Amino acid sequence: MLGLEKAAAANGKMGKSKTYCNDYEDYEEGKNAKTLVEDILNDPELPQLEELIIGGWGEEFDESCQPIIDGIAENADKFSHITKIFFGDMDYETCEVSWITQGDYSSLWKAMPQLKDLTIKGSNDLSLGVIEHENLESLTIICGGLGKDVIEEIAKAKLPNLKKLLLYIGIEDYGFDGNADTIRALLADSDFPSLIYLGITDSEIQDELTEVVLESKYIRQITALDLSNGSLTDKGGKLLLEKLPELPNIEILDVHHHYLSNEMMEELQKLSITVNLAEQEKPYEWNGERWYSAMLTE
Amino acid sequence: MERGTVVQCHADRMSGILLMGVGGGKRRYYFEQAAAQKGISVSFLDWGELLASEGEGESKPGHGEEGALAWEKAWSGEGAPSRKDLRRWVVKIDPPEWESSRLSQLEELTGRYGEWLRRLSRLPGGNFLNHPLDIEEVLDKRRCKERLAREGVSVTKMYGESFSCGEELLAFMRDRRIGQVFVKPVTGAGAAGVSALRFSPKTGRIVLYTCGILEGEEIFNTKRMFRLEGKEGAAFLDSLLKLDCAVERWYGKAVFGEYSYDLRVIVQGGRIDYILPRLSKGPITNLHLNNHSMEFGDLRLDQGTMEGIRELCFKAAACYPGLKSIGMDVLLEKRSLRPRIIEMNAQGDLLHRDVYGENRIYGRQIDIMAEMLKNLPD
Repeated sequence: MLGLEKAAAANGKMGKSKTYCNDYEDYEEGKNAKTLVEDILNDPELPQLEELIIGGWGEEFDESCQPIIDGIAENADKFSHITKIFFGDMDYETCEVSWITQGDYSSLWKAMPQLKDLTIKGSNDLSLGVIEHENLESLTIICGGLGKDVIEEIAKAKLPNLKKLLLYIGIEDYGFDGNADTIRALLADSDFPSLIYLGITDSEIQDELTEVVLESKYIRQITALDLSNGSLTDKGGKLLLEKLPELPNIEILDVHHHYLSNEMMEELQKLSITVNLAEQEKPYEWNGERWYSAMLTE
Repeated sequence: MERGTVVQCHADRMSGILLMGVGGGKRRYYFEQAAAQKGISVSFLDWGELLASEGEGESKPGHGEEGALAWEKAWSGEGAPSRKDLRRWVVKIDPPEWESSRLSQLEELTGRYGEWLRRLSRLPGGNFLNHPLDIEEVLDKRRCKERLAREGVSVTKMYGESFSCGEELLAFMRDRRIGQVFVKPVTGAGAAGVSALRFSPKTGRIVLYTCGILEGEEIFNTKRMFRLEGKEGAAFLDSLLKLDCAVERWYGKAVFGEYSYDLRVIVQGGRIDYILPRLSKGPITNLHLNNHSMEFGDLRLDQGTMEGIRELCFKAAACYPGLKSIGMDVLLEKRSLRPRIIEMNAQGDLLHRDVYGENRIYGRQIDIMAEMLKNLPD
């Protein structure tokens, strides 16, 4: 746990959280995304909650979570106290990330002006619409491949208080139809004046993206840099070694799940900041070629 | 058992504990070590010799008396028992070594092994740690699960239908709105051929997790997990369903940290002797696939769940009174932690975490067998 979550936990600011999901038996009994939102609305505990976690809604591989988003938007007054939402908190046994059918979040921004923290898992059929929100502080998208259209929506977002942006970029096979220039444009075109945590993660072009991030306007603004879960090698490590000493604002570097050599890890460890170097991976060798994978794709 | 009360096994007395197994294997080594620690010696019969002698001359599987010739030939060493005095022996039957990784051949080998088990059951004597007919039944995942279900034991649900190709199975899943299932060769050992299938009826997309690889039309078992999509997955499924397969519901397993897990529970002589949680990051949990294991106590399960596991395992064991040592794979459903038997294994007693530690499981088997030996009629 890094950055904002840690700070919030340490300050004891974590409010009451509840997970809602339909498991397999619920699904067999005919429950779905529509009934799930009804269950949430009928839950007497709802008024006391600060955080909603939406797990599987049933048939996630075929059915979108749109009825849940719509249900929240249509009953906005019942959710006016919710500051944190996670849509799609499920593991591979419920539905692997590349199979989760997401939805269109356009209606959520106006419906939940008090929302501070939004996490979305899955990128199939994902649309964020026109994002305009005064209070959102944290936006996380966990997926195996983030579409260019969604990245462009984020680039145009008006989020003056956004402190944390964490994106799993993923790979082409599972939805990332961009390249390093797509991320370069995101970081150039977006305007997040409060950003202190930038995560461009889970990519198989992690070295290239490291260079892009280090050249971005946010690099002198943020305190936490997250390049984890990708294919970072010594090439990207060398860039970090060269640049980070010139960036006193950066206090935390997270590169866990990486392909750095022991020597490079030792050098990065010498930086006078907190560095997460856990999960040193080895490339998969096949037919004389080396393959470097991102952590979450399928 | 006290050392003084141990029944010694001498060739001249022509009685004792007999292990049928594989020479040079871990099972034999740790079983004999457990026996030696209790001052008991073990006679040994190598499946390799027995199976090799089978091909010679008249002794063919399926012919009781003729098959017995191979039996005597393989057991012709000094001090070894013959079929005529087997009644003075208490016998443990370990599995033979499967030399093939080809699934269709494994099915054939299991059939041949089953014939030997039936033959063993016909021999005079019949003092087995695990009765050969019960070992044979449990080797058939369908027969075993049907018996458990009949007796009201909570098991992972097996669909009654059979499928000869992938399209049939997918049509069934589409009709029943089933998104994910396990497909298991009914006679496979361990995870051989076991595949987790996910299917989206709307898009027709499939993904299959398996440790098998398809070469031509043959599936070979490996110790690696593969994830197959699209045509690759469909071709594998077609070949898999050419074997006799059971199709089961895929339940979400309980989670510990970032792993899901199930339990290997060893029930012996009316007691639970070991519970091993097996952790995995994929849908198939099997120790042959280099999954992790951990101490059961570290799961910190509540008392109700522990009691549920205990009751379930005893109820399952009661369905097979002829098995005094059973390895049960138990699934705890995600969230509710409701236990269900995934499958049973009458020879699932080799747990590395145990043999490299206390060797408790084999030690207990020796106690049970020594007690059986003591109680043999004169």
